[in-house]
Amino acid sequence: MTNALYIGIGPIIAVTLGVVVLLMVEVTLHPATRVWRLISFGSLISGFILAIVQWADAANNPQPIFSHMLMHDGFSAFGSIVLIIVAALGLLVAWPLVENDRARGAELVALVLLTTIGLMLLVSAANLMMVFLGLEVASISLYVIAGFIRKGARSNEAAVKYFLLGSFASAVFLYGVALVYAGTGTLEITAIAGPQFAGLTQTPVLLVGIGLIVVGLGFKVSAAPFHMWAPDVYQGSASGVTGFMNAGAKIAGFAALARILVVSFDAQRGDWGPALAVVAALSMVVGTVLAITQTDLKRMLAYSSVAHAGFIMTALVGGGAGIDALWFYVVTYAFQVVGAFGVVAAISGVASDESALKQYVGLGRRSPFLAGVLSLMMLAMAGIPLTAGFAGKFGVFRAALEAGYTWLVVLALVASAVGLYFYLRVIVRVYIDQETAEQPRVVITDGMRFALTTVAVLTVAFGVNPAPLLTVVSNALPF
Amino acid sequence: MTELVLFVLFGIGALAGAIMMVISRNPVYSALGLIAAMFSIAVLYVVNGAHFVAAVQIIVYAGAVMTLFLFVIMLIGVDQPEDTSEQLPIQRPAALALGALLLVGFLIVIGAGTLAGSDEGSVVGTVEAIADELFTNWLLPFEVTTLLLVIASVGAIVLAQFKLRDRR
Repeated sequence: MTNALYIGIGPIIAVTLGVVVLLMVEVTLHPATRVWRLISFGSLISGFILAIVQWADAANNPQPIFSHMLMHDGFSAFGSIVLIIVAALGLLVAWPLVENDRARGAELVALVLLTTIGLMLLVSAANLMMVFLGLEVASISLYVIAGFIRKGARSNEAAVKYFLLGSFASAVFLYGVALVYAGTGTLEITAIAGPQFAGLTQTPVLLVGIGLIVVGLGFKVSAAPFHMWAPDVYQGSASGVTGFMNAGAKIAGFAALARILVVSFDAQRGDWGPALAVVAALSMVVGTVLAITQTDLKRMLAYSSVAHAGFIMTALVGGGAGIDALWFYVVTYAFQVVGAFGVVAAISGVASDESALKQYVGLGRRSPFLAGVLSLMMLAMAGIPLTAGFAGKFGVFRAALEAGYTWLVVLALVASAVGLYFYLRVIVRVYIDQETAEQPRVVITDGMRFALTTVAVLTVAFGVNPAPLLTVVSNALPF
Repeated sequence: MTELVLFVLFGIGALAGAIMMVISRNPVYSALGLIAAMFSIAVLYVVNGAHFVAAVQIIVYAGAVMTLFLFVIMLIGVDQPEDTSEQLPIQRPAALALGALLLVGFLIVIGAGTLAGSDEGSVVGTVEAIADELFTNWLLPFEVTTLLLVIASVGAIVLAQFKLRDRR
């Protein structure tokens, strides 16, 4: 059916149109920043509506489109919906950064939209070449976003480090794709598992290819031991965009990993399952232990994101049965990250490249709203009941238990308990510690307040009643 | 007959370009000589029916790679005196020996008589076949690469404009 072609690519086209219109209007008319907002949010909202349409349509006739380049299914549609929401929230938080830089603001908005397009392609790709292209579109935009504040030495370091290590990871991923092609003779994700390749399942060249693909995507989602870049990059990038950078890469990276491993390489689960479990365990331990010693909130959140990459990966060790748990965790975590970095942006300025924990002393009195949101995000990341973090952790642990990885779940429980220490430490700083010096007053924009309220409400709502989201993600499976 | 004329003309062109590249003192002339040599070789590919290789030769070598060379030359500056003293004493004899080896290799191949023009229709990687694939099965990846070009230009603006304003 040709309709699926247009419905399936609708959200991507909508956001792409936003980029083109924004750049052309900016070049020719130099409009007020209000117009940038109109164009970017207009394209995101129409993309959101089209993604809902795609979701409704994909439930009835999921199918590959563009000669097996993209997949029109619930998995793609749900990923696009979440990515567009995260991009919109990220733009709201980053908006002061955009408006402060009249000369380059429109370009920053365009880059955020371009990253979103790349991430949506990554989620929807049905062909390993398409996965690579989506990865590159998203990554290259993110390298530039990381280096946006040119006058900060840390920002320059972050951009160069991200670019060099990221290109290396992309090359590793591409090498893995080439080896998979050498092993099976096809790049289509659904065809790799087809019956004609049944005899090839354990060839070394294919296993090495799978390994390199896991390494390449593991880098993008900052799983240990490929996480070295994350603290420096997330600290060095402008606070206004860090939340989006982190959340977007996590959602799409894990979605692509899940689709490739579950759809293409389910027959080799006995080989990649244990490897994934080791990476997950290492991420949880390294992320948690190193987060304890941090004195900068952005670095702490970066290490905590390494630990969360481990928790999310735990859902995948059992193969396809864990995909709904993975979706639930990654979606709720994305909102928490956007919220936490949004508060960071409000406290230490959208363009800052550091955020020392001592800036947060006495925040409870200076800004009860920000203090409340930050504390809620910390509790959710720690996995306290009645927040979305608890339901998410519960889901991934159950998926791993059902797959027989009891040791991994025990380790994850210990890591969660240790993690409580540094999450609660932030709350202690905010509410209990006494101010020694007068801190500047906190002002936040309406957009930021709206984004943070949305994130907080969603985090509590999904925590108190996870059933609606669980129903949705149980339908967001790859075709 | 046409093939022979073209071969002689552009063979001479390629040789002249190569010699100009090696002997000219000005690096810009060297680069121009290299462009001439690569372009002439591309014409030889066309004569042999390898249209796609010819197009790639023009786009990648004569286009992208040469632009990169020219950027480097411009960055270093053409007016600076070159250090022409040879660092490695073994360079010149080694170059002569390797050149002689290449010549011997060519002579052996030519002597064996296995050099033949293309038979019509025997070429697999024709422009038509590649275009067929590119604009049907691989249409979407092809379109998505345009996004990469947009990112490259937007990224260049974002990263370069700051310095520009700073200097004023």
